[in-house]
Amino acid sequence: MDRSFKARLERRFGDQLTGPVRQRHDETEVRIGPGDVVPVITALHDEPEFSFEFLADLCGVDTGEVMQVVYHLWSPTTPDWLRVIADGLSREDPRVPSVTFMWKGAEWMEREAYDMFGITFEGNRDLRRIYMPPDYQSFPLRKDFYLADDAARSPGAGVRPMEQTHVPRDTVATGKVRRLSPGT
Amino acid sequence: MTATTPRPDVTGSHHTSSLGDDAFAGEPDDPRVQLDRDLGVFEPVPPYPPRTEREAEFYTLRDGEMFLNMGPQHPSTHGVLRVVLKLDGEKVVDLDPVLGYLHRGVEKLCENADYHHSIAYLDPLEYVSSLFCEWPGVMAFEKLLDVQVPRRAEYIRVLSAELNRIASHSLFLGWMALDLGGLTPILWSFIERDTIVEMLASLTGQRMLFNYFRIGGVNGDLNHEFMSRLGDWMSHATEQVEAGNTLLNENEIFVRRMRGLGKIDSKTALRMTMSGPNLRATGVPFDMRRAHPYSAYPELDFDIPTRQEGDCLARYLLRMDEIKQSLRIIDQCLHQMPDGPVMAKLPRLLRPRPGRAYAGIEAPRGQYAVYAISDGTDQPFRMRIHDPSFLHLQSVGLMMPGHLVADTMAIMASLDPIMGGVDK
Repeated sequence: MDRSFKARLERRFGDQLTGPVRQRHDETEVRIGPGDVVPVITALHDEPEFSFEFLADLCGVDTGEVMQVVYHLWSPTTPDWLRVIADGLSREDPRVPSVTFMWKGAEWMEREAYDMFGITFEGNRDLRRIYMPPDYQSFPLRKDFYLADDAARSPGAGVRPMEQTHVPRDTVATGKVRRLSPGT
Repeated sequence: MTATTPRPDVTGSHHTSSLGDDAFAGEPDDPRVQLDRDLGVFEPVPPYPPRTEREAEFYTLRDGEMFLNMGPQHPSTHGVLRVVLKLDGEKVVDLDPVLGYLHRGVEKLCENADYHHSIAYLDPLEYVSSLFCEWPGVMAFEKLLDVQVPRRAEYIRVLSAELNRIASHSLFLGWMALDLGGLTPILWSFIERDTIVEMLASLTGQRMLFNYFRIGGVNGDLNHEFMSRLGDWMSHATEQVEAGNTLLNENEIFVRRMRGLGKIDSKTALRMTMSGPNLRATGVPFDMRRAHPYSAYPELDFDIPTRQEGDCLARYLLRMDEIKQSLRIIDQCLHQMPDGPVMAKLPRLLRPRPGRAYAGIEAPRGQYAVYAISDGTDQPFRMRIHDPSFLHLQSVGLMMPGHLVADTMAIMASLDPIMGGVDK
């Protein structure tokens, strides 16, 4: 845990953060609004104080309430992983700016997040499905997408999300969606 | 099969051959329906209008250009990958990999299995280096649970994983040569790999999908059979690795073909988010074992080999250097192996408190990582698997233009993607 790094982040991005900077084990976490992705990522990459040159991971997260896009960055200036969470994307039309202007390699990771969560990355030149067939309609990693499975006929049917299969199509299964408590 | 050919009755009971061939007409299990069906071909151009800027650009032909479909079943694609090539004569202008033929939805499966089960789902991702797939998974869960892994378990993890790295890199050597048309090295590298894999089987119980790492430690302590096999192999390992290297390093056809092929510079490699040997072959000494130390690596002494050229030959030679470093690490592990338990004390049912954890390790192909979110239940809320092969395959498009069709295989092989991991 790099305490001074936390102070540096708070000093530099104070007004752009939408939550407290959190630290646990070897990770530092900041939350920003989707509108601030480009300036924050650019500053983290370009400013010698941070110099986060390596994009370790980019992925989408569905908390059951909102969508998030999570960036993991690595830099020689801190022993911590930096996790940048673009928080509060609407589940109906999640939109976030693409980071392909900085890391061209994020293109496929953004395609994957689009394929699995339906998150639109504005500025990605190639935002089409990558794993699922092109005529596929759903977004499989969303929390209201259930796995069809024989477990539904088991004695424990309906206990776990995997077993709750027979939800009519076009039903908003709000009551059964697994949710992440806000702030996790 | 023509309609007049006599055909054995395969559908059983009420169908008899005396009824003639028409007896099968319209039946759902009519064998002719399967046999006479046109198997079809993959049209390189998709049957719908382009949806993105890049797709429109790729699927527009200029004068003298043509499309060529390669795969999904192609001997050189290391799995089921389809690549659409845009050619000008024999030169590749551009290419568009089409993924998803091996997609199993491992992330979703993990989100619907409990923490111990999820580990088993991780093994078949990069099936030639299974231990490296398990490792970030267990590391992320350990972080969620705040578990301290016993030191002996960390050493055993390093020891077995480095063995697996050698097995993976030896197999790479063979595949690489095979994709260039050389048959001998794969036979030799399989000898090397099988020795290691049998050794790991005596430790873990399985040859390929070891499922050995557990949350909080490893499944079992080192046993006598493993140690004796390891000792036997270590006595001539260096020699054997050298022998394998000279088979190709001094082969003029191989070296001249690989040199300058599929070049990428360090800046582009970082922008393409490449990692592992493919990044180090461009001169960036970036290795997770040193960049973000984990497990027992801070206590071990080893070098991070780099090469400056960034071409196929550099990527190949770099992996050979890495094998030597892995041997060094294994040697140190054996000498420094501490005593003690190999599992932390944990309840059977794990319910980590809500939180997030990210763990990245240095796998044979680059940074392998898992990002896990817990919501306080016994199943991970979100399980993101980051696979280096996926990103390396993406940069083939940058390395390819200007090279020949036959070189696509060489370049792809030099990046060493495993489709099981690419498609998750």
